[in-house]
Amino acid sequence: MIGFVTWRLAQLVPVLLVASALIFFMMYAVPGGPVAALVGENATQEQIAAVTEQFGLNRPVAVQYVDWLLRALTGDLGQSLHSREPVLKLIGERLPATLQLAAVATLIGLLVGVPLALASALSQGSWLDRALSGWSALALGVPTFWVGILLILLFAVELKLLPAASAYVPVWQDPWQMIRNAILPAGTLGLYVSGIFARFLRGSLITEFNADYVRTARSKGLKEGTVVARHVLRNAMLPFVTIVGIMLAGFIGGAVVTEAVFTYPGLGRLVIQAIGSRDYPLVQGCILVILAIYILINLLVDVLYVYIDPRIDYG
Amino acid sequence: MEGPPQMPNPVLSIRSLNVTFVGSGADIPAVRGIDLDVHENEVLGIVGESGSGKSVTALAAAGLLPRTARITGSVLLGGRQVVGATADDLRRMRGQDVGVVFQDPSTTLNPLMPVGDQVTEGEVAHGRLARADAGVRAVDLLREVDIADPDNRARQYPHEFSGGMRQRAVIAMAMAGRPRLIVADEPTTALDVTVQAQVLALLARRQAETGAAVVLITHDLGVVAEVAHRVAVMYGGRIVETGSVRDIFARPRHPYTAALLRSAPRIDVTAGRLDPIPGQPPTPTDLPAGCTFHPRCPLHAGRTRCTTEDPALRPMGPGQAAACHFAEEMGARDPLSPGPSPRGEGRPVAAASLPPPGGRDSERGSPPPLLVVDDLKVHFPIRAGLLRRVVRTVRAVDGVSLSLAPGETLGLVGESGCGKTTTGRAIMGLIRSTGGRILFDGKPVHGLSRKGLRPVRRAMQYVFQDPFSSLNPMLSVGDAIAEPLRIHGLYDAAGGATWIATLLDMVGLSPSVAHRMPREFSGGQKQRIGIARALALKPRLLILDEPVSALDVSIQAQIVNLLQDLQKDLGLAYLFIAHDLSVVKHISDRVAVMYLGRIVEEGPKADLYGRPVHPYTQALLSAVPAVDVDPAAKRRRIVLEGEIPNPSAPPPGCHFHPRCFRADGRCGVEVPAFRPYGDGATRTACHHAGPLTVPLTPAPETLGASP
Ligand SMILES: Nc1ncnc2c1ncn2[C@@H]1O[C@H](COP(=O)(O)OP(=O)(O)OP(=O)(O)O)[C@@H](O)[C@H]1O
Ligand code: SF4
Ligand code: SF4
Ligand SMILES: [Mg+2]
Repeated sequence: MIGFVTWRLAQLVPVLLVASALIFFMMYAVPGGPVAALVGENATQEQIAAVTEQFGLNRPVAVQYVDWLLRALTGDLGQSLHSREPVLKLIGERLPATLQLAAVATLIGLLVGVPLALASALSQGSWLDRALSGWSALALGVPTFWVGILLILLFAVELKLLPAASAYVPVWQDPWQMIRNAILPAGTLGLYVSGIFARFLRGSLITEFNADYVRTARSKGLKEGTVVARHVLRNAMLPFVTIVGIMLAGFIGGAVVTEAVFTYPGLGRLVIQAIGSRDYPLVQGCILVILAIYILINLLVDVLYVYIDPRIDYG
Repeated sequence: MEGPPQMPNPVLSIRSLNVTFVGSGADIPAVRGIDLDVHENEVLGIVGESGSGKSVTALAAAGLLPRTARITGSVLLGGRQVVGATADDLRRMRGQDVGVVFQDPSTTLNPLMPVGDQVTEGEVAHGRLARADAGVRAVDLLREVDIADPDNRARQYPHEFSGGMRQRAVIAMAMAGRPRLIVADEPTTALDVTVQAQVLALLARRQAETGAAVVLITHDLGVVAEVAHRVAVMYGGRIVETGSVRDIFARPRHPYTAALLRSAPRIDVTAGRLDPIPGQPPTPTDLPAGCTFHPRCPLHAGRTRCTTEDPALRPMGPGQAAACHFAEEMGARDPLSPGPSPRGEGRPVAAASLPPPGGRDSERGSPPPLLVVDDLKVHFPIRAGLLRRVVRTVRAVDGVSLSLAPGETLGLVGESGCGKTTTGRAIMGLIRSTGGRILFDGKPVHGLSRKGLRPVRRAMQYVFQDPFSSLNPMLSVGDAIAEPLRIHGLYDAAGGATWIATLLDMVGLSPSVAHRMPREFSGGQKQRIGIARALALKPRLLILDEPVSALDVSIQAQIVNLLQDLQKDLGLAYLFIAHDLSVVKHISDRVAVMYLGRIVEEGPKADLYGRPVHPYTQALLSAVPAVDVDPAAKRRRIVLEGEIPNPSAPPPGCHFHPRCFRADGRCGVEVPAFRPYGDGATRTACHHAGPLTVPLTPAPETLGASP
């Protein structure tokens, strides 16, 4: 088990290396390049030359990459071209906000999606099943920005219950304010994933309901509730855990639209802003951090499997 | 085997049971009017082909039918009505009045729950067992079904159990509440024959200890003959005949029963040719009018009564009843002697009387062999850890030597996992061999590149077990058969569509089916298509990997006959891989028995089946349940302990020694050489080879033996 985790962590290194190189070279391939971004449209030749010199941008790209890499290894991801602040500091400000939002959104998705899936699968083919499936389709189909705007209009503008712009309040600082601020963006995202969760779990529940061991469990004279809780649900959860992990990981950096609608200080918005202002060191840093977290969450899921599936043995 | 005296109150009493599945499509009448009784201490066998309604009947008895089933009639279980019972009442009956053993032990247990917990779960739920005592009780229950080391086993998960152990656990589970009725639906079908023998013996012992009534569903007539008191034969959702085992086997009164008995190959009788039932079993959505058996019935002879009036089950003598208008005409003819079969396969007799191609008789001169396999080894590396190091090797095939003459059939038998399929695939070049030589037509083919293999592949073709998945669902039948020709660029040279039509005709299909898709065909027809495809390149050798094991008995007989006819007509050599010893005996000239990657005995069929000399062959043969009508002729049985060990960690010395009844110290250290036995044609690998003189263990008690 420890060997397995070490092995998977070691795999992070080449993945991040390759990814960073790809991002680096890709950014230098786009027309304009960082210099144009720095000096603006109307810059003179002299200004351009000066900036190029200042940031070492006249060196070969490969040299610049190695330079960046060596510094990254010491924990220095460079400076934002824009705000001149360390990239790591900027990311550090946003990361907790993003993680908290992702966690709350996934929790809401589970709280809504799992009961939906259960109710649906237990009443397979009935009007309830159809209604619930319709609801999942709706949750999936309606764009999140639309849901977000509706929620703001209702709860912030009309009812004036919640703030229209959601600030990041760490849960351990002020749980109540945290809930007030996170409930709208997290609810928007949570509603969306609840559709995915409900659909997927309904499918695997129905598969498991027809499994032979469920028939065996019924033949012992167990109550249907026991059959579902002890036999069906646990087996159906196996593939479901992977989906939950993927969705959770997707929210790290992938919740751009929702963050924008609620002006929430998340990583996704930071990346978009950085791309917009061609703040290359910042883009690079953000993408690497997002990638690393993505891989770590998936590792966590794999480790979790060892505890829920006795057949898995990573040795 | 004597039925117990009739008791007034049957444990299970079914009257006019009808089960129809309603759903999106047409209604499916799966069971159409069944009456049956099962008494305490009695074993009722239900036999019939796939889809005849056996399982549905069993599920109805246990109140386990899904919600889509519309049930009418009466099912009394211990005097209580099952049909229409509330969910709560049904729940109380299950596990208490009825216990169920299902077919496939690899899927009947919850993979995420320790076996011990699953075994006691029912008793705890019924409030008969305190949760705190469940652990101890689980160990006791597992011990009762002969699971070694029950203390540790109870804590293990199903994947840590072998197939036979899982089925023991399922039996322990079904019997935990001492139910009065046990329903066992194909309980040993998924198991190897030596393990089947163990499980049947266990079921018999537990049944005798508890006095339960048993409904045993099986398609294996041998199992019924061995284990049941009474039989009900099902066809098209009805019981067409019922009676005591002895009467049914000796004097069947329904033409279907008689035909079924005739179509099964038998291990104790040597017959030249099987007598299949023509046609297909009916589909429930499209039942023939009148008697559902009439399209296949040899007795029908065009009489209108058969096509208009569905015959009712009527008494035909003490304890026997048959549903046939003309049952009286069946007489007392012995069904096992090949009787008149008015509508045989329709193969031209001329083909059958062609002189057999040379090389049939291994004692007379020896033509150069077509295929020689010498010390073939196939080892699969198992990789693990960070660097994917090879931690172990599975010795799937570990020194196999065979030879096959032109036009000859060599049967390769053994239990699951012994390496039969790997051997066949390595010969075919589908798997790279690790060592040894393979000569085809005198030329070495082992280690050839794909290109070098091509001409050999043409002369050697493979027929797969599963006719359902071996055909590409997107290709029409004609294209599927033409595929190998096209791959070799020989389609036009071979004669194109004309040759495809000829091939279809050869395998007994109408050439007009060439444009149809595989899904429109039944299992037997698909296997015919698979054989036609294998014949497209005019091969000289067919490697047949379990070609009939997925098929019903009557269809199996059709395919076996087809293979024999083709062999005679085309002079083909067959390597026939199978686990069914009766089928192998029927079709083979010589037979090789495999155990854990090695051949333990090989010889002419008559010698191997008549005078086996290797202890494993002896045990294997004695484990086959035979259609013995006469209880006096009941053979003594060697019940082997344990199961085939894991081929990645085979026992040292003779692989068989931990289970062998003749093993001594030498066997555990010295690998026995594979060499000729005596001066006959048999070769064997055993330090103490020799015929069986004294039965070593007494036969286990039969199911339901009077206490
Ligand atoms: N849940 C179901 N829904 C619809 N049809 C069903 C269902 N269960 C069984 N059937 C149909 O009922 C018929 C009888 O099925 P059953 O399982 O009893 O056959 P069987 O005799 O047990 O066959 P086998 O030897 O293949 O197990 C079949 O045509 C089958 O397709
Ligand atoms: S009723 Fe007619 S068709 Fe049916 S089994 Fe008897 S003879 Fe054959
Ligand atoms: S060599 Fe020994 S253990 Fe192996 S089969 Fe012969 S007697 Fe049994
Ligand atoms: Mg069945």
